Amino acid sequence: MKNYKNFLLLSAFSLALMSCSKNDNNPVANDITLHFNNTFKNTTIVLGDAGSFTATVNTSAEGQVHHFSELKYVISNIRLIKTDGNEFPYNINDLDKGATVVNQAKPQTLDYVLSNIPAGEYKQIKFGLGVRRDLNTLDQVRFPNFYAEAGANDTKMHWEWGAGYRFTKLEGFFETDGKEMSIHTGSTVVGTDGDPSTYAQGVDAYRDIILDLPNPATVGRNIPKITIKADFDKLLSGKTNTLILKSKTGDNNHNDDSNATPNTMSALQMVKFVDNLGGNGSSDISGMFSITRVTN
Amino acid sequence: MKAVLTILSILLLLLSCSRTDVIELTPYDNPEVPLHIPAGFPPLNNSVAGNTPTKYGVELGEKLFHEKKFSGNNTISCASCHNQSRAFSDNNAQAVGIYGRIGLRNTPPIQNMAFMKFYNWDGNILQLEKQPLVPIITHEEMNSSILEVIGKISSEPQYTDLFKKAFGDETITPDRIYRSIAQYEYTLISADSKYDKIKQRNEGEEFTASEARGYHVFQQKCESCHRTALFTDQSFRNVGFPLNPSIEEAGRARVTGIPADFMRFRVPSLRNVEYTAPYGSLGQFPTLRAVLDYFDNGVVDADNLDPILKANGNRIPLTEQEKHDMIAFLETLSDSTFVGK
Repeated sequence: MKNYKNFLLLSAFSLALMSCSKNDNNPVANDITLHFNNTFKNTTIVLGDAGSFTATVNTSAEGQVHHFSELKYVISNIRLIKTDGNEFPYNINDLDKGATVVNQAKPQTLDYVLSNIPAGEYKQIKFGLGVRRDLNTLDQVRFPNFYAEAGANDTKMHWEWGAGYRFTKLEGFFETDGKEMSIHTGSTVVGTDGDPSTYAQGVDAYRDIILDLPNPATVGRNIPKITIKADFDKLLSGKTNTLILKSKTGDNNHNDDSNATPNTMSALQMVKFVDNLGGNGSSDISGMFSITRVTN
Repeated sequence: MKAVLTILSILLLLLSCSRTDVIELTPYDNPEVPLHIPAGFPPLNNSVAGNTPTKYGVELGEKLFHEKKFSGNNTISCASCHNQSRAFSDNNAQAVGIYGRIGLRNTPPIQNMAFMKFYNWDGNILQLEKQPLVPIITHEEMNSSILEVIGKISSEPQYTDLFKKAFGDETITPDRIYRSIAQYEYTLISADSKYDKIKQRNEGEEFTASEARGYHVFQQKCESCHRTALFTDQSFRNVGFPLNPSIEEAGRARVTGIPADFMRFRVPSLRNVEYTAPYGSLGQFPTLRAVLDYFDNGVVDADNLDPILKANGNRIPLTEQEKHDMIAFLETLSDSTFVGK
């Protein structure tokens, strides 16, 4: 009798397991992992201080050596496009659930897991470098988690005097004498509730990125991993601008458009870096980003 | 029985509805505070119409303006830098915030804000309601966050009472904080100087001989930028002052990204200028005399130096007598009532 009972229990248990695995065969939704590989050309970046022997050193098209001690950027407004053309927006209006700060110094931020993605085949990904105008306010009440993540002492992505968040923050050193470079980007547009007609002044540093996947990402039983390369070689040697960093000299006009300041903390001279990193929005819609691989 | 119950419950529901309605329909008497537009002033900033000052909104805003709990360690309020006796500015070259941290620029006075189109030296803010958050979260100013501030003040009955009186209920929201501070600042109108009594209101007072000569010089050599009864044309100009060496400073170009705006700054109002030393976006000049001497000696050249200065050999030539008279005139713009003296 006892054996019989055990047998029954075991059968029930197996049945339960079977029903589970049956569900797993055809889940209605699953995750996608976005992996960000921050590189100089094909070499993953290692950060380092001024005198670092281990930092990855890059040489720009104009021959300027440089390396980074800090590398951060905001990704938001993620949309996945199915092979049939339908677009799945991923919490695009919720920075807490749909935006992240990629920080080279924090390995856990290099993988961003998109959860509950409808099963299916996806051929393209769109995302924003930065935060869309209508969401780009430092609204701690609306998005407390993203506000906290971006504002943490080791992140510092609040652009206090500007329009909202910093979109990229790059600190580093250039040329053999290790002059400091500091490239911050963010928007300064001022307006109401994302209504463009109310934007009276300033620069929008948000860039929409569109990337085709080399092979479809199949969401279902497995969790696809999309490896996105962010090639920071493009910062100085981009598709839009080839830049030479030049420190402030006696020329206090800063009007020399052939060069770029190594210290951009405002809208001035910022756009040439923004266009290199995030594309110019017209002829270049990928900037420094490309898809290395999709594994299903 | 069932029907009776249904009717009863509906009645109860209705009753509970009307109860809340009663609460909402008996707000405190919170009249609007009329803003008197002084003669010769430009029109109000459009935002004022969307945030008309009220009696308790202004009272709340004033209390918040003096609230040191706005800063991370409860030491700095808005009024710490915006001191009424100095026309709501201070006497530091650059602002000094929490832990003695030094800000990027000179603290601008807060006066006649309702009539300004741009705020701050670079005009990054166009609506006054958008400004209060900036110092709260800035590392060199208050180094806090709006929820930290709300957390500190929400248990204080004086605040819950004022929020209720100003906005109808006790809820403290960021927006209500920003709006009430802006309301208070909109009421800070300074237009009761000797100049106003003479030029705008014809009240029988007269300029002294020196002031009159100074006014004449002012009209010839300053008024093209310091226009209207606000004493600023609200434009952005590079007048060749000694540069702020900070890599963060770019003047108006910081906001617009336009190279021609590099080191252009908002033309400051000259009202109460007697009280707002030192002068310049970096507090470069300790006295009015130093400003006038600098203009007389010649300013730093730049491609985008103001055309009026360029046309005059990069300077504003002034004789000793003219400087003396000009300062006498500028002191007629002092509004002792406004600064509480």
